[in-house]
Amino acid sequence: MTLPLSGRKILVIEDESLVAMLLETILEDMGCETVGPISNIDEALTVIADGTAFDGALLDVNVAGREVFPVAEVLKEKGVPFVFSTGYGEGGLPPEWRGQATIQKPFTEATVCDALIKALGVTPA
Amino acid sequence: MRHRKSGCALKELAKSGGLSVDLASAFDASPNPYTLLTPDLRFAGMNRAYLDVTKQTREGLLGRHIMEAYDGAGDTANADQLRDSFERVLVTGEPHHIALLHYAIPLPDENGVWRNVDKYWSCTHSPVTDDDGQIRYILQHTTDVTELQLLRRQTRPVGAVAEPMSALDAIVSGRLLQRAEDIQASNRRLESERNRLVEMFMQAPGFMTVLSGPDHVFQLHNQAYAQLIGHRDIIGKPVRVALPEMEGQGFYEFLDGVFATGEPYEGRQSRIQIQQIPDAPLVEAWLNFIYQPIRDADGNVVGIFVQGHDVTSDMVAAERQKLMIDELNHRVKNTLATVQSIAMQTARTHADPRTFAEGFQARLIALSHTHDLLTRRHWEGADLRDVLLHETEAHGSTRVVLNGPAVILSPAAALSLGMIFHELATNAAKYGALSSGEGRVFVDWAVANQADRRLTLEWRELDGPPVVEPDRRGFGTRLIERNIRHDLAGDVKLQYPTDGFHAEMSVPLDRGSPT
Repeated sequence: MTLPLSGRKILVIEDESLVAMLLETILEDMGCETVGPISNIDEALTVIADGTAFDGALLDVNVAGREVFPVAEVLKEKGVPFVFSTGYGEGGLPPEWRGQATIQKPFTEATVCDALIKALGVTPA
Repeated sequence: MRHRKSGCALKELAKSGGLSVDLASAFDASPNPYTLLTPDLRFAGMNRAYLDVTKQTREGLLGRHIMEAYDGAGDTANADQLRDSFERVLVTGEPHHIALLHYAIPLPDENGVWRNVDKYWSCTHSPVTDDDGQIRYILQHTTDVTELQLLRRQTRPVGAVAEPMSALDAIVSGRLLQRAEDIQASNRRLESERNRLVEMFMQAPGFMTVLSGPDHVFQLHNQAYAQLIGHRDIIGKPVRVALPEMEGQGFYEFLDGVFATGEPYEGRQSRIQIQQIPDAPLVEAWLNFIYQPIRDADGNVVGIFVQGHDVTSDMVAAERQKLMIDELNHRVKNTLATVQSIAMQTARTHADPRTFAEGFQARLIALSHTHDLLTRRHWEGADLRDVLLHETEAHGSTRVVLNGPAVILSPAAALSLGMIFHELATNAAKYGALSSGEGRVFVDWAVANQADRRLTLEWRELDGPPVVEPDRRGFGTRLIERNIRHDLAGDVKLQYPTDGFHAEMSVPLDRGSPT
């Protein structure tokens, strides 16, 4: 069985290194390549502006005390699919971002995988 | 105003045009007893009838204080009643009546000996004003009603069989006086009741005000209301003039609605912007209040009673609590995600469930230790030495030598460094200097650049078994490197010379962004 997201590049924005390491491990198991992980908003914006290629993104909502929404804005414009990860729950998202794909911390491997498959519009093989 | 001893106040008054000479003569000839008092209650004049009743001489009374000349034979309650009546005339400028005053006065007996004699009086005190409206005198008209009162007492049923009251007694001495007495008593009661209500209104913790008419003119307000509106002078002004900043906030319209419909209006947690300090920006407050229509005897709305509470502090507290719960939730969820990561990474390097459990628990406890340190300082920070001590004390203080100044770490830095020191100590105990009897670890640190503080820390292992660089970077090593670079924006160098493992790290301390 081939992995549905095999070979995809996923940008990870997460300030907690242990959580970032977990995401990396999960992505690795899914056959994905991690771009980053990046732990601050400015660096994330630079990486995106530089034209670094990736197929999707996992965005921690609260990155070292700042909200990730400026990055989400840019990705939305570029049409890059992304998934929020947050400890606040969907109720913690501002109204304009409600309904965006979101995973709750702590998350399972299956949750991350499902959310990315859905966001990237990949049909599971 | 002092009385001049020789001068007759009535003549003075007559000269000043306040009283005609004819009137002064009429006054003196009146069969009703009158006396004229200065505002400080000294005798300024009296007529013949007064002197007849009191058996005094004009010279003996002029200039004396009335409360001194007539002290009520020591009955202070009676004296107070009289003094209050004078006081009221002076304050209000209106006449005041005492329907029945029980007041003893000294009188000579048949042998010419002066004794206090119990008397009942009915008195009227009227202000006498000058052209400027100032009170110059109080005119006292007293009638001795002692005999009526005594008569009434005598006709009261004393024995087994009550004597029927005579018609005269019933009308004059009995019911009439009884009624006068009752009215007097009930007036006193109402007066003190009213004072108590006014006092309660003024002191009430909630704000209250009374508005009159369709323009809502301020008639009365209490201290809490004065505080709410910044002690502005609003009495007698319509609300749109008195509190102009309310324009556009909806309150005028609610008042208009209550006045027009007679239906009360209740506001809950209403936001208001109010001028509490002149020329300062408006203050935001939240109020619970009610506008209650006031009706006249015919049921028409004539005003509005406003009362309510400032609930701003409750709103702020509720908001703060919500923020704290959100933040707590965020931290707990993040901590759980961290623990989840530790579990998963630990599982990958331990095939044996027993060693997995050991490694996982040790890491959890290291994390928990740092939480304890932070809790001790209300999550404002933790001391670097304390964090190091917690993670290394199991190996003995003589084998791990700590040397450096006091440094307060932010909660994020404390949590990261706690985990890092745990990994370093675990590695040293497994493979490094703490794995043999002789080895020791030296931890030295310093803070450079006070303007933009940077912590440099060195972890040196000595006298352990010869070091072999691992061919594969384990979880511990990755955790150290990641944490320093990723979470703390610092640098770290891990070196493996044969005489002992050596780590150098450099971390900015004032990044100021909590996780």
